[in-house]
Amino acid sequence: MLRRLSEHPAAPIYRNQSGHRLTEADLPQLAAFEARMQALKVAQSAHQQIAQAPDWLQQLIQRSYAQVPFYRALGAPPKCFQDIAPITRSELSRDVVQFVPDDISAARIIHYSTSGTTGHALMLPSHPRVAAGYRVFYERALARFGVTLRAGANDVGLLLIGHQQRCFTYVSVAPTRGESGLAKINLHPNDWRDLDDPARYIDALQAELYSGDPLAFTALLAIATKHRPAALVSTSMTLLPALRQRLSTRFGCPVLDLYSMNEAGPIAVFDPELDGYILLQPELNVEILRPDGSVCALGERGEITLSGGFNFCLPLLRYRTGDFAVLVHESGEWLLRDLSGRAPVRFQTCSGAWLNNIDITHALKPYVLAQWTLLQRSDSSLELAIQPYRHDDVIAIKKDLYAIFGLAQVLNIAPLANDIDKVLQYRSELQSN
Amino acid sequence: MSTANPELSPAMNSSLMKEGPPLQVLMRRIAAAGSDVLIEPRIGAQGVVPVDAVVTDLFELLGLDVPAALDDFGVNKSVQDRRRLQITLLLTWLCADETLQTHEKNAALLLQILQQVPAELAKYTTFEQLVSDSDRREELARLTLARMHLLPLGETAAQAQDRLSVLSSAERERLVAASRAAEARARLLREAMARRAAEEAADKMGRE
Repeated sequence: MLRRLSEHPAAPIYRNQSGHRLTEADLPQLAAFEARMQALKVAQSAHQQIAQAPDWLQQLIQRSYAQVPFYRALGAPPKCFQDIAPITRSELSRDVVQFVPDDISAARIIHYSTSGTTGHALMLPSHPRVAAGYRVFYERALARFGVTLRAGANDVGLLLIGHQQRCFTYVSVAPTRGESGLAKINLHPNDWRDLDDPARYIDALQAELYSGDPLAFTALLAIATKHRPAALVSTSMTLLPALRQRLSTRFGCPVLDLYSMNEAGPIAVFDPELDGYILLQPELNVEILRPDGSVCALGERGEITLSGGFNFCLPLLRYRTGDFAVLVHESGEWLLRDLSGRAPVRFQTCSGAWLNNIDITHALKPYVLAQWTLLQRSDSSLELAIQPYRHDDVIAIKKDLYAIFGLAQVLNIAPLANDIDKVLQYRSELQSN
Repeated sequence: MSTANPELSPAMNSSLMKEGPPLQVLMRRIAAAGSDVLIEPRIGAQGVVPVDAVVTDLFELLGLDVPAALDDFGVNKSVQDRRRLQITLLLTWLCADETLQTHEKNAALLLQILQQVPAELAKYTTFEQLVSDSDRREELARLTLARMHLLPLGETAAQAQDRLSVLSSAERERLVAASRAAEARARLLREAMARRAAEEAADKMGRE
């Protein structure tokens, strides 16, 4: 399989090597984990007293205060869940190893880097079984859209697609799925010997699932492939409805918008019928907090704060993610609505009224944009950068934004630079963010 | 009782050392500290009891002027102060004991004790250990008496100092050893993580 992936005549220039790093002993543990997650329902409960919290959460708290150096230094756990002081990326950045339980062996620990939009890279401890553990949540997300992954031996199960100047690319196999193939490719022309190779290679692989971000999928739209995967999974950035629809029409399959982060893995998947992100992990407690640390009521917007997760190298206790949303319980599902990264940013209209960044996202929904940024300068002028940049879109977007900001609004729309990865999406010089 | 032994620490050597209450009385009081003493200290939005208010109550109970600045016990402390503030609650409970109230009271000295003793103890022990472990109970009782310039009833200054030294030295040695082990492990983890860099680490199903 590895030779098939790497030696195909149209294969890209694979620059790197990686692998699952699983051992024989990992496989039954992974299977048991998957079976347990498949059997559990996602539930959230309000529990003031830790003694009334779900068993898994009580065990997590006890273990953290006994085994995790950061929490052990604080003394015994409090009785009330909300008396556990939330932590942020800042605490992790200071010395992330203080959050690794003492009973985790250093021998197999790995890390993933995350920089987000807030600055310096942060190394997050992880383990090969944690990386492999993503699959059960992807499967739960796909099942909502009627997709069951079936790739096995001799199949290519997953095609990871990137589009950057430089991108980590490699081939691998999934031992838990009959050694089915996995390829991570970069659509940037620098990684290919011939301009027609991307289409030939992607069609040859016949991969069951494509995973990428909106930028990569926008680039994929420009490639004349014929293969129809079972699904596309978009991560890492906001996926606008118009782009989702365009992809779904082109590839004839569901396109999932997955809310996921290195700290916690896949958290929720967008369901258009419910207009919200459905929570995926049974052992991940989600709270929404106000700036002062108090807990929002259901339906009140605030900062997504996580406890639990399946990364046993980094058990989370009230981790403030820096993302904001409303948590609701509807139609038997727990979902996040009005999801956005970073604190709300306000923009002022010509009439002096204030808009929320969510209002801007709603205004841009009809457009097939992979990425955008909006900055309001101190003189109230707006600078919108979009990718892809299409003249027709620019005219229409201007019309939509004038409708909400006012005709007198100074508005400049420019192409977003191609080599920017994650961006600070909304900024305002009129208020501190 | 006056003391004149040059080998004693300045605090124990002072002519201010007076006979205090029986040690066992204070140790029993510490052991009796229950859930009405360990209420979660208020830090920011978390917790229940503002420790500065409890300290204020203690000064008023003892008929002392309440100090103007109680910042060390305020709600704007950080989560890392939790252990210290919990031990402060325990110490205020102890200082309110009737057997200590009969002795001369000094507001400045009391404030200093409430600021310093919990900070020292929090480096290596917790509220729970101070209550449940007999050596830690004894250490807290002896340390409090020593700082108040009091000796346990029936003990000489030399006896009191010897016993306090034994109790606290053993803990400090354990703390040093534990700190060394913790730093060695942290170094091991950092090295292990650095060896297995970012995307080379292991397959993941998606970018994040």
